[in-house]
Amino acid sequence: MIDLVNEILATLKHNKLRTALTGFAVSWGIFLLIVLLSVSNGLVNGMNDMFSRRDTESMTVEGGWAFKPYKGLTDGRKVQLRERDINLIRNRNEQLVTRISATISNDSATVSTGKDYVTGGYEGVYPSGLKSAGATISSGRFINDNDIRQARRVIVLHTDNARNLFGEKDPIGKLVKINDLTFTVVGVFKHEWNTRSYIPYSTARNLSGGSDKVKNISVGVGSINSIADGEKAEKDMYVTLGNEHNFDATDQGALWIRNYAKQRLTQDTASGALELAVWIISILTMLSGIVGVSNIMFVSVRERTHEIGVRRAIGARPLSILKQVILESVAITTIFGYIGIVLGVIVSEIIKTIAINKEVEFLKDPSVDLGVAVQVTVVLIIAGAIAGLFPAMKSLKIKPVEALRDE
Amino acid sequence: MIIELKDVNKSYPGVIPLHVLKDVNLSIEKGELVSIMGASGSGKSTLLNILGILDNYDSGEYHLDGVLIKNLTENKAADLRNYMIGFVFQSFNLIGYKNALENVALPLFYRGISRRKRNAMAMEQLERMGMADRATHLPGELSGGQKQRVAIARALITNPSIILADEPTGALDSKTSKEVMQVFRDLNAEGRTIVIVTHDPGVGEQTNRIIRISDGRIVTPDQSITGTQATITPSIQ
Repeated sequence: MIDLVNEILATLKHNKLRTALTGFAVSWGIFLLIVLLSVSNGLVNGMNDMFSRRDTESMTVEGGWAFKPYKGLTDGRKVQLRERDINLIRNRNEQLVTRISATISNDSATVSTGKDYVTGGYEGVYPSGLKSAGATISSGRFINDNDIRQARRVIVLHTDNARNLFGEKDPIGKLVKINDLTFTVVGVFKHEWNTRSYIPYSTARNLSGGSDKVKNISVGVGSINSIADGEKAEKDMYVTLGNEHNFDATDQGALWIRNYAKQRLTQDTASGALELAVWIISILTMLSGIVGVSNIMFVSVRERTHEIGVRRAIGARPLSILKQVILESVAITTIFGYIGIVLGVIVSEIIKTIAINKEVEFLKDPSVDLGVAVQVTVVLIIAGAIAGLFPAMKSLKIKPVEALRDE
Repeated sequence: MIIELKDVNKSYPGVIPLHVLKDVNLSIEKGELVSIMGASGSGKSTLLNILGILDNYDSGEYHLDGVLIKNLTENKAADLRNYMIGFVFQSFNLIGYKNALENVALPLFYRGISRRKRNAMAMEQLERMGMADRATHLPGELSGGQKQRVAIARALITNPSIILADEPTGALDSKTSKEVMQVFRDLNAEGRTIVIVTHDPGVGEQTNRIIRISDGRIVTPDQSITGTQATITPSIQ
């Protein structure tokens, strides 16, 4: 085996420039593959990261407007969800619902200190509201179970609002007012665009004068494993609430459903498609490199017709010639492929550094893992073998009599 | 009888098939130094190809060292060439990017002999040819005579039944030719069977027997030449 490797290295060295030019095409293909794969991984990681802040095992149901006539009612009716819908949904969809909570909102309320105030309203939520909103806590804490049970007057502010109200001072433990009622700031959260303030659900209910109107109902779902499951779950919501609120179960506008579980599945499919596309593009690029290798192996076999004849004359079996040509081709593709891998990894590290420095949010940790390196290696070896196969078959046709022909 | 051809025929197919060898009968004893001479197109090269198991023949029988050489697979033919025949070519046919030692060792590579062992054996052969000091030189750095010595070392390393030389002095000047022929004679004196194919009468004269071929037939029935070594031939064993 070592002898064979030496044989191959000797022949490759013999034609350095040609080997290098041929190898460049392979390196380029692999380089593109690695860079594209790492960027697509970065995109997928970025999307997954945004989703991971969300509760992907949930869907949020909000009342909309019913447009289709139903039981003699005309169009343009507002659908208002109420607290009793919580039990209704749970009882009618036992298979689906793992947990359920609701929010109450007041969009017109202002939150103020003595000097400054912020708008955006408040939302009464359960502890799971943080994840449903896709927000993260940057300091302090979110609403907890004790807040709900005791209807405490505590509030969690958006970072921008906290800065508007308190400047650079630590807002935790400070007091703010909503409708002349005093609330204690217990936490600050981060979100790209949602700047509303969060208070406990029970407190919000008291503020609204005991009304049972809810803004939306968040349904924990455990059994959505396909997009079809997700659509079925949505349909169930329309049927359940349509009976109660008098709208047609096919009236899409009657409810606004944000189905995170289904979105995640859709996004997974999209990620898979992206990765597949990247592989196809890169393999096609690599193909041109491989055709180059194959071509150059043909030239090499042709050039060495006499040498192969001599080898055959002094006792080389056809198989050993075949093996040599194929391994030579595999060696070219693998060596230059690895150069491409290394350069690709370097470039994706550079992209990663830039992405971190510029805070590019949709691109997170663009890199390729060991599994991909193994896959690429396998692809390289197979590609090299295929590239060498046809020239090798040609080399088999060389008869030992060639040795007697004058060059 | 180390080489025995019985009614061997060979023709190349074509629009008008070319009958190159016509009922060739030939026998060469072990330890002989024989030359096969003939003009260009006489069938000399074809005969060499058949003797060297490089080509097939159509009918007849060819026994090499007691083995019937007929209808062989590529692998079997390759193995027989490796074990039984040492080739020496007109244009040396050394591999340009391998040094003298590696070239000499190459036939053993195809026998699967370890690198260390075959290099030691190759060195031994180079020493015999007086080429030990050139072991690491590439063929391009050697003179014609030196290249042919390396090639002869390569032919000898497998300890073959016969040495088959195709115009071994064709690319050499007259002085070097004499030296190379002396090498062959020395080897013959050690008991090697050597068959030299040539069109050069000067080379033919230095062998113990000349087999002339013309138009695909052996012309002279085995004609012994009176030469320095002629009397040795039968008694050498």
